[in-house]
Amino acid sequence: MPTTTTSSSSFSSAASSSGNRQADVFSRLASSDPEVKLKALREVKNQIIGNRTKKLSFLKLGAVPAIASALSDSECNSILVQSAAALGSFACGFEAGVQAVLGAGAFPALLRLLTSSDEKVVDAGARSLRMIFQSNQAPKYDFLQEKNMEFLFSLLNSENENVSGLGASIIAHACGTTVEQQVLCDAGVLEKLVILLEGSLSQREACLESLATVLKNNPEAVSRFVGLEAGRYLSSVTELTKDRYPRTRLLSCLCLVVIYNTSPSYFLNMGTKSSLVTTLLELLNDPGQSGDDAALGLSSLIAEKEDLQKLAYEANAIKNIVDILKTGSELHPKRLQGLFLSLAELCSKLEDCRCSFLSLEMLDLLVNALRHKNADVRTAACICFRNAARSVKNLSAGRFTNDHVMLPLVQLLHDPSSSVQVAVLGALSNIVLDFSSPKSTFIEYGGIKQLIELSKSMDPNTRCSALRALRNLMFLADKKRKELFYSEVKAQGFVSLISDPEPTVQEQGLALLRNLVDGCINSIEFVFDEEGLILDTVGRQLRKSPQAQMAIQGMYVLTNVASGTELHKEAVMQQLFPQPQAESNNFMLKFLQSHESQLRSATVWTIINLISPSSPGALDRHVKLREEGIIPQLKNMVNDACLDVKIRIRTVLSQSMSFGDN
Amino acid sequence: MSLFRIFINQDDDDDDMATSKKVITREEWEKKLNAVKLRKQDMNTLVMNFLVTEGYVDAAAKFQRESGTKQTAEIDLATITDRMAVKKAVQNGHVEDAIEKVNDLNPEILDTNPELFFHLQQQRLIELIRQGKTEEALEFAQEELAPRGEENQAFLQELEKTVALLVFEDASNSPVKDLLDISHRLKTASEVNAAILTSQSHEKDPKLPSLLKMLIWAQNQLDEKAVYPHINDLSTGQLEDPPE
Repeated sequence: MPTTTTSSSSFSSAASSSGNRQADVFSRLASSDPEVKLKALREVKNQIIGNRTKKLSFLKLGAVPAIASALSDSECNSILVQSAAALGSFACGFEAGVQAVLGAGAFPALLRLLTSSDEKVVDAGARSLRMIFQSNQAPKYDFLQEKNMEFLFSLLNSENENVSGLGASIIAHACGTTVEQQVLCDAGVLEKLVILLEGSLSQREACLESLATVLKNNPEAVSRFVGLEAGRYLSSVTELTKDRYPRTRLLSCLCLVVIYNTSPSYFLNMGTKSSLVTTLLELLNDPGQSGDDAALGLSSLIAEKEDLQKLAYEANAIKNIVDILKTGSELHPKRLQGLFLSLAELCSKLEDCRCSFLSLEMLDLLVNALRHKNADVRTAACICFRNAARSVKNLSAGRFTNDHVMLPLVQLLHDPSSSVQVAVLGALSNIVLDFSSPKSTFIEYGGIKQLIELSKSMDPNTRCSALRALRNLMFLADKKRKELFYSEVKAQGFVSLISDPEPTVQEQGLALLRNLVDGCINSIEFVFDEEGLILDTVGRQLRKSPQAQMAIQGMYVLTNVASGTELHKEAVMQQLFPQPQAESNNFMLKFLQSHESQLRSATVWTIINLISPSSPGALDRHVKLREEGIIPQLKNMVNDACLDVKIRIRTVLSQSMSFGDN
Repeated sequence: MSLFRIFINQDDDDDDMATSKKVITREEWEKKLNAVKLRKQDMNTLVMNFLVTEGYVDAAAKFQRESGTKQTAEIDLATITDRMAVKKAVQNGHVEDAIEKVNDLNPEILDTNPELFFHLQQQRLIELIRQGKTEEALEFAQEELAPRGEENQAFLQELEKTVALLVFEDASNSPVKDLLDISHRLKTASEVNAAILTSQSHEKDPKLPSLLKMLIWAQNQLDEKAVYPHINDLSTGQLEDPPE
């Protein structure tokens, strides 16, 4: 055995002596003498508890398999307790440790400990298993198997706090689907869990976590829970939001957030909503994990709910969150993500929030977040930008279009994570709508090329978002910008976009085309490029019974084309009524009969443009439309439910009358 | 019909504070107090709570036997002994021993309480320095404390302060000499005690002090409205007559 050097105090010798000590302990783990083994196990356990660095180095030595075999091979209670405790510590908040423990096959051995007659052995086993189940790598628990359910309920029924806590933990982390939630509720899990609500601190916390999992997005489960003893337990959970322990306050808040998001009707009382918001805001200041979780909880609570966003704003949420972000200390990525998402939600609909937020000199912080190493943080920062840029006032003040902001955003178009790409595309979509500046920083950075590149991505969300950004970029764009764009795409490129397998992508492609051909008459020429390839494709897509949203954009393309010259109008007629028509595929009639008022409206607009009396061929086109049953159909629609449609039809019919048609 | 009505009933509270407050004599007060019903078992529970939380095992056990007070569900007298052993170990400077005992009691406590674990390691270093084992202290600082700072930035400042002890020839006269004080041991001991109590779902503070604080607060509140016998000495609980 190597001796340790004691005379020199250089760092390298300190490191090597500790390494030697570790190797020494490790070798004693394998001893056949149970007393030596027990001592070694205890030593390892005491060295690693609380000490992530040591966990890592023992892991590398291969301690976990050695301890796992000590666990499986021994019958001695002390050895079982120490080895289980050591394995539990490896698994505590340390993903690599969980992986090693599971990889060493210790899981079944730990399960066996639960049936021991020795209480300490049961405790050690239950604790370690709970650590494992708190990790994402925990084995899947099949709730649908009867014997698994029986086992789970035997855990929940146990007098032992650690064991019942384990049962709740399994539910909290392994229950995922609606079917599982249903099966658990039917077996009476809610009734069992609420008993834990009135138990010890750890039981309460385990209960709150598992309740949130079982109730999430399941209105039936929520109503069942609320129905238990006439709402007594809902009141208990609400009371717990004022508990002395921050983690209990947090978990009960998260539970209420789940219930509110699933079935808001149980929260008609404004006071409860308000105190939920303020409690979460207070918890944001907690330095530990509770604060991290509170941030995400808050963003989930106020998402899409303008009334709650207002409440939060009035409770000074923006200033509080910005203060936390500005503290300068390194915040956990989860907390950063939650805080940025909360800010994003606050800015989503309320202009006051956006102005307040932007006035707090936050842009630097936000720009830094764009470079954070965690993808979720970058995504959240982008969403924040997107929503803040909805403020026309600040957008036209040029806050987002300067190099300082634009450059990092554009750089994110190359981000390896697709969720970041989609998020930054969303932000850019809004930012490019800045009409106040004559030149576009974005285009100068080669933005168009990058967007086109992304419109060919493997991920449909990315394609869709890229096209949306391009669509906004082409909105009211000048000739130069349109030509620049078209030169990168060309007819064939457009055809691919409009023929994308995903309907949402097709829709964006058509909307982009609509903006492209809008405006001056020359823009219409794009669709005639390469012998009308694009226009043909549009016609073809419209004939294929597309979804309403796609059809709307397609018809608006035709409307815009039909606003041009005589040739343009004739080309549109060709697309509407191609010869020869194999079967009666009069999609125009179908569109006029659609439930979607926008589609009816877009179709009528096309007709208005086709028979506008100022053009020579209008009469002939009118005849054709009448023959195809279009004009008669319009006459049936004089009292259309949608006002816009009704007005346009009146326009058509008055044009019609000018051709001598009654 | 009289058009003039002069209202003489002007109350000016600022002028006669002493006489506008209600006066309660000692006799009246004692009569009121006697009318308040208290349950013996509540008082017993309070005493039990105090003894258990403060860790007086033998006293708690004897009191429980003699008074017949039911054991509270949360705490087992047996666990008090374990907890007291940990507290005593820290108070005597045997930190490594204390850590082992805590881990035997509940391995989760130090695994989920990074601040507490850091403070215990810090105390270990302080004890090594106190014993003059400079080399061992250096090694310990580098091997055990430095990683804590790496794992968690929040500890860096305290870490620097502690390591500063190693720099000074005579640490007991340095700017950081507070760390060597026995009170620092007591602080760490108290922290461990609280953590163990929390893990056992027991409240870390006994109820008795809160009740006494409530008494003082209530008297202060009542002083604004009445003159009555006070309890000025909490240790005796003697009623003292109201001032003339």
